[in-house]
Amino acid sequence: MSGPALIHVVVSGLATGCIYALGALSLVIVYNATRTVNFAQGELLMISAFVAWTAQRAGLPLAAALVSGVVAGGLLALLLERAIIRRAVSATHWDVLIITLGLSLALRAAAGIVWTNEELPFPALFSNRPIAIGPVRVAPVSLGVIGASLILMLALVALFRATRFGRAMRAVAQNQTAARLMGISVERVYAGSWVLAAVVGGVAGVLIAPVTFLSTKMGLIAINGFTAAVLGGFGSLPGAVAGGMLLGVIENLAPLYLPTGIRYSVPFLVMIAILVARPRGLFGTLERRKV
Amino acid sequence: MRATAWAVGGAAALGWPLVAPRYFVFLATLVAVNAVVAIGLNLLSGYTNQLSFGHAGFLAVGAYTAAILTLRAPALPVPLTLLAAGLVTALVGLALGIPCLRLDGLYLAMATLAFGFVVTEAITNLDSLTHGNDGLRVPLARLGPWLLDTDRSRYYLTLAVAAAMILAALNVAATRTGRAFLAIRTSEIAAQASGINAAALKTVAFVLSAFYTGVAGGLFAFVVGFLSPDAFDVFLSVDFLVMIILGGLGSVWGSVAGAAIVTVLNDSLAGFQAYRPLVFGAIMIAGMLFMPGGLAAMTRRQS
Repeated sequence: MSGPALIHVVVSGLATGCIYALGALSLVIVYNATRTVNFAQGELLMISAFVAWTAQRAGLPLAAALVSGVVAGGLLALLLERAIIRRAVSATHWDVLIITLGLSLALRAAAGIVWTNEELPFPALFSNRPIAIGPVRVAPVSLGVIGASLILMLALVALFRATRFGRAMRAVAQNQTAARLMGISVERVYAGSWVLAAVVGGVAGVLIAPVTFLSTKMGLIAINGFTAAVLGGFGSLPGAVAGGMLLGVIENLAPLYLPTGIRYSVPFLVMIAILVARPRGLFGTLERRKV
Repeated sequence: MRATAWAVGGAAALGWPLVAPRYFVFLATLVAVNAVVAIGLNLLSGYTNQLSFGHAGFLAVGAYTAAILTLRAPALPVPLTLLAAGLVTALVGLALGIPCLRLDGLYLAMATLAFGFVVTEAITNLDSLTHGNDGLRVPLARLGPWLLDTDRSRYYLTLAVAAAMILAALNVAATRTGRAFLAIRTSEIAAQASGINAAALKTVAFVLSAFYTGVAGGLFAFVVGFLSPDAFDVFLSVDFLVMIILGGLGSVWGSVAGAAIVTVLNDSLAGFQAYRPLVFGAIMIAGMLFMPGGLAAMTRRQS
């Protein structure tokens, strides 16, 4: 394969990877605060995209529609956290995991009832017709997705480093009891992390919907987000980004070298391989559990 | 009291095909098949605290093994076919279980989830063996001179197998291994301190669970008569989880009850496909919030 063509594949892989990275970030944000994985993360992302679609159809300009979708996802996350998850805070992580699994089923079905189970075209911010940059041809949509994702990631870095709430989240992630003793409201951090994760996921949702089409099944993309997070070492935010990019590129390159039959299994095979060979991820460190 | 319950339950199970319409005989057969899966899953999740999202994959391995074996060797008596289905699936469980030894909790759950996807993809792509997406018609099961060609005959076959597997599961605590399972459930760390090789036993639980599910898969193939990869998606694995959550983690009779409720519910909601996951999701959430131990814990509290 020629160099420029390879670059085209890698760039579109990086674009997919950005979406996985955002999905991974949203899972890790909730995990770091609450030590459970939110299985409904993908469904929140899907609902953000559906709300954006509805808002655009109602006559809102596209940019405003996308923002309204993301905001709606955040509000829904806040509502779910307050109404359901918080009641189970005293329960084991296991129980919360199963509750979020139930939420994912219920949300997907609800979206199918409110909207549709069909696939819908989603208005695109960026064109997918390739443009030439020197000898290389890339699709503007890839560059748009990468650019928007990078801006969001930088915003997250700023949030975690420079704001009071970001520091509180990091404190809770490190040691919940100590954070509580320092006067941090752990409950508020829980709710905040759910909202933040839904916003990050929502952005991923409205960015990817034009490419994958809008459907109630698009929440399954969170599974790839999970693989990405595991790849980077679950719990590490930079790891989530690196894992996402790596997975996106692997997934886009694999069909060139592998028979088409196993193409769709690639993310899962990567997940099994990484779990077996390096369960703590490529960059993760072993976490000792104390008795 | 206990003996009466057994006698009444046994008589009801044996007499059911004589009084119930054909369709309900079929439904009861499905309940028994799912009960075996639920018990198998519970051996893993309930006893050793390992969550699996891949049991639909195990079920598929068992079902396809039984179907292909019957196609190639039509004269094979059905108990041997089922045993083979169970053993092949157990072997797959071992192959998955050993590398997954190092994983716990969430990581194991995700590995099993990935396993489930890989199995359906493999079935879709192994055209020559499985007929891929076109599906595979399963020949009738044979037991010596008899062809199991009625719903009633298949019901009794399933009932006999399910009864044996329920009895085995009930008596698991009578064995050293079973007691070790229970010790791990109570506290893995304490069990290890008492000299139990938790890693090895978790693999045993994994293999045993796969065996149960594989046998159930074989029964499923004969009961349903037609297999296609999309019947074994991740949502089926979630259904199995709902069964044991509803019934109670670590309870054999809870698994049976959970399997019965979910199967009947699935059937009655068949006309409302859109609402089915909504109901199941609500059951999972409400179950965890309001009755964390499932049905089993509720009856325990009353007595």
